[in-house]
Amino acid sequence: MKQAGKLTSADSGSVAGGKQEMSSARCRSVKESTSTLDLQAIRYPSQAPAEDPLLWFPRAVGKLRALWRALTYPFALFGKGAWVHYSCHISRSAAPYIAIGENVNLAPDVRLDVSPVPGADPPVLILEAGSGMQRRCMVSARNRIHLMKNVMFGFSVLVMDHGLDDDESTDTAGRSHETRGGTIRIEEDCWIGCGAVITCEQGQLVIGRHSVVGANSLITRSIPPYSVVAGNPAMIVRQYDFLKEKWVLGCIRPMAATDPRQPDPPAKASADVCACESDVPGSAGEVSRGVR
Amino acid sequence: MPRPIHETRSDSEDRDGFFSRILTKLNSLWVSATYPFARKGRNMSLHYGSDISRRLAPLIRLGNRVEIGNRAWLSHGWEDNEIKITIDDDCRIGARCTISAKNSIHIERDVILGSDVLLIDNNHVYEAVTTPISQQGTSAGGRIRIREGCRIGHGVAILCERGELVVGRNCVVSPGAVVLRSSPPDSVLSGNPARVVQRPIDIVASAGQQSLSPSKEA
Repeated sequence: MKQAGKLTSADSGSVAGGKQEMSSARCRSVKESTSTLDLQAIRYPSQAPAEDPLLWFPRAVGKLRALWRALTYPFALFGKGAWVHYSCHISRSAAPYIAIGENVNLAPDVRLDVSPVPGADPPVLILEAGSGMQRRCMVSARNRIHLMKNVMFGFSVLVMDHGLDDDESTDTAGRSHETRGGTIRIEEDCWIGCGAVITCEQGQLVIGRHSVVGANSLITRSIPPYSVVAGNPAMIVRQYDFLKEKWVLGCIRPMAATDPRQPDPPAKASADVCACESDVPGSAGEVSRGVR
Repeated sequence: MPRPIHETRSDSEDRDGFFSRILTKLNSLWVSATYPFARKGRNMSLHYGSDISRRLAPLIRLGNRVEIGNRAWLSHGWEDNEIKITIDDDCRIGARCTISAKNSIHIERDVILGSDVLLIDNNHVYEAVTTPISQQGTSAGGRIRIREGCRIGHGVAILCERGELVVGRNCVVSPGAVVLRSSPPDSVLSGNPARVVQRPIDIVASAGQQSLSPSKEA
């Protein structure tokens, strides 16, 4: 309702006209649907049209291919009820570094690009139970990307735990133009919106539990739990206040308080608010040792 | 005024390969012959990789000369038997577009959606902090209407959580924008969240400086 109010104040003439047209169009559509022309639209629930028979063959082939992959690829873990669509790009050599938990669902065209740096302990990519990815998501893992339980991804999300760099001195393991990178952990119940980009060039990036990332936003820093972020670069737009027990606009505490790249992060900055077991993010020294 | 798409397209253009075009032609013939759309236009071009389910077709209307690209996905819910997705004449839906309607998404004449465009008229509910977001379902949602002649760039997300979102006539939405609110006609939108960066009066003024107006040339 608030949004509707804003919209009329912004451009009352055209939008109000649009509304009238819209309502009349709605009336028209209802009228048309009751006429004989659109009988099929009305009849729908009792007579659902059958699926296109041309799709049976590719679907059968796709199912077989997905089963073949689930049974023969050497995944570090392949949980019960997990389903990887046949059109996902997962190479067989990367499978030992991927752990897929129970009921994980990977939609068509998801690309899991996993090639761990030497010294990274497998599994490098962990998808815990109940998490899932929508179409065209891409994950590029070098060190570690950890999706905890019930994480939801929208369409076309990119998660990358390393950056791109022209500096040859940062070159590791013969990979040119890639920085060493950091680790990414997306905690329970998060929802990553469509088209979001999550990159971590160094340190540890943590998206706190039950956070929401808006569409097309760019995440390069950690996000405290129970917050809604959006924009490029992403800013906190809403946060859950446990004292008032409601979502409040804006940021309760500054985002930098939980930034892992701060040399001396305030201890338990987020733990007192959210009452969740999030450990203090790792410092830069930890990264240089290549731990996690 | 943007011209209709079928006039701007040249015949010598070969955007896809030869076989790809034949497959697309066959697919459009098959789909328009056998799918029970609420309305289907003539000369539709539906790419063979586009994802339109036959089960959802009764609540979708497609106009004449509609083009739908590879991996474009139309989906909608079944709350009531209203028409959910309407795509009017001469629209072009780019590759990998996602149109997901819970209430109604209406794309009017001559609209071009670039690739990777996202149109969703509902949202996930996340307010309950003790339940996972994936188990909280979707919100009631609103309605999206894109007026005629709009140009929507690559990767644009148009999201409507409630109320009615109208992108005005002949708007241009620049790539990567996130449109959350209605916009006036003839404007240029950009940014995340999208704002009007150019008003119609600016466009008229700049056109006059570039001596594009016929009166000055004469």
